[in-house]
Amino acid sequence: MRDLLQATIAIIIVCALLFVAVNQMESSGSSGSKDSLTIYNWGEYIDPELIGKFEEETGIKVTYETFDSNEAMMTKIEQGGSAYDVAVPSEYTIESMKEKDLLIPIDHALVPNLQYIHEDFLDLAFDKGNEYSIPYFWGTVGIVYNPNLIADHLTFESWEDLWDPSLKEKVFLVDSSREVIGMGLNSIRQSLNVKDDVLLREATDKLISLTPNIKAVIGDEITPLMVNNEAAVALTWSGQAADMLWENEELDFATPYEGSNIFFDNMIIPKTSKNVEGAHKFINFMLDPENAAQNADYVGYSSPNFAAWELMDEEVIGDERFYPSNEQRDTLEVYENLGLEWLGKYNEYFLEFKMSLK
Amino acid sequence: MKKLSAASKAYLVFVFVILYAPILYLIFYSFNSGGTMNSFESFTWEHYAAVFEDSRLIVILLNTVIVALLSGLIATIIGTLGAIGIVSLKDKKMRNTLLSLNNILIVSPDVVIGASFLILFTMIGVKLGFASVLVSHVAFSVPIVVLMVLPKLLEMNTSLIDAARDLGATKRDVLLRVILPYISPGIFAGFFMALTYSLDDFAVTFFVTGNGFSTLSVEIYSMARAGISLTVNAISGLVFAVTLLIVIGYYFINKRSKSATTEGQR
Repeated sequence: MRDLLQATIAIIIVCALLFVAVNQMESSGSSGSKDSLTIYNWGEYIDPELIGKFEEETGIKVTYETFDSNEAMMTKIEQGGSAYDVAVPSEYTIESMKEKDLLIPIDHALVPNLQYIHEDFLDLAFDKGNEYSIPYFWGTVGIVYNPNLIADHLTFESWEDLWDPSLKEKVFLVDSSREVIGMGLNSIRQSLNVKDDVLLREATDKLISLTPNIKAVIGDEITPLMVNNEAAVALTWSGQAADMLWENEELDFATPYEGSNIFFDNMIIPKTSKNVEGAHKFINFMLDPENAAQNADYVGYSSPNFAAWELMDEEVIGDERFYPSNEQRDTLEVYENLGLEWLGKYNEYFLEFKMSLK
Repeated sequence: MKKLSAASKAYLVFVFVILYAPILYLIFYSFNSGGTMNSFESFTWEHYAAVFEDSRLIVILLNTVIVALLSGLIATIIGTLGAIGIVSLKDKKMRNTLLSLNNILIVSPDVVIGASFLILFTMIGVKLGFASVLVSHVAFSVPIVVLMVLPKLLEMNTSLIDAARDLGATKRDVLLRVILPYISPGIFAGFFMALTYSLDDFAVTFFVTGNGFSTLSVEIYSMARAGISLTVNAISGLVFAVTLLIVIGYYFINKRSKSATTEGQR
């Protein structure tokens, strides 16, 4: 009995000590102000130094939380229970969040730094007039490849290169219907947002003819496979590709000229926000060219902030693989909200393609 | 003790290699200056320094430990009393029903438990955070503690209790001086099981974290999207080292108290 009691007391004392330590650490950083802000962002999607800088500049204490998918984030916000002030979803999620009335309109007067965002990234179809969202990072869908593992003549400037017979069982695809069907549509030079059964049929048939070259349709596991030289070619997002290139310099990335998808992650203010003014301050802070440049340097995704481009390394900004030229940007397309019916059809065609793999 | 044959020895080594190799591999690379898990370049402490510099990560680590210890403690108290209650039931049918209900909770998937808790908490208006995580960790640990304590209770000879009663012990005395000391190994085992369950639970915790409160498993999961950095290796190494120390400490305390009791008997 004595040892049970001793153990109980020991546990309670340890907990109390840890609790004091946590409180100490959490209150150090903030200069005693009650003003606080909760940011909900993707994992590893901000330079932690910037949070400290923001706290110092404004006296607002930041609580920073992370999520790993648009869907998970939306569920948390929809359920309430947690007061997020700023979140960073992708464009298609912003559309459905708008439909579900989860967003607070952004007061443009409070974000003067919006002037530094390149016009190409403003006023897009998913949020006309940037009423609810402000650009954070953007990227494209393309092909990351390892030149050492494939034939020399393949540069992936065209989607057709994927169909090259020398790539037998060497191609990895991300397990995502919009990306893969979109690739099929792009390769027959159609829009990523077509709502036409004949064209979708044609794209799917084209994809099915690719099956001999496909090794697997998988998710984030592609990154370690590519980095460790275990995979030769993969369809993926430019941000993920930038990570791979950072870790394995032999890799290369290309966005084919026929066109591809361009995606945007944008800052929004959810209905759960308890500090709307602070949220605007944070958004404006992230748009400051110096901060945007520092963040882009740290995260590796492409910044939409043209004033930040001037502060960044020439080599990064000049890299057309991640900052495509204007002509190439014209070939890129944003996903539109297809509506449930057509989304279902895309998924069906994708399923049919996946079933043809064996 | 009988000597092990060569085959069983080899088998034992094989099992332990499978169990420990991934952990050792992970810890080995936490000292790599190369920044990736591809090739070992040279020895460095920088990833450990990065963990200690990131005060957010440290707070999350401490929170994880607090939740694990507290939920383990509470679940052990509830679970032990529950097990005693179940065993003392005279009605066989009732007893079996309660045990089955307990087992259903053990086998039901974490996602289901997590989602149910999220719905419950938002329905009754509990703010997600420390309290919600603690409550749900207690909840999924209680059935495990019951299961760990139960065998000890069942193997206990009931004449011990009868003897205590005959010698004039009250109900309270019986519980505190006979039953609890006898089943204390089961209680400790239950506590440690609850502790580990709480430390590594992702699915339930994922649903009920919020308002800036997070645990290590949830945090590492969202970090992993951008590829596991060696900081994750370093923090895993730290957790492993602390666990090892606790186990070693527990072993020595046990040994000392055992030798103390045997000496006292002499």
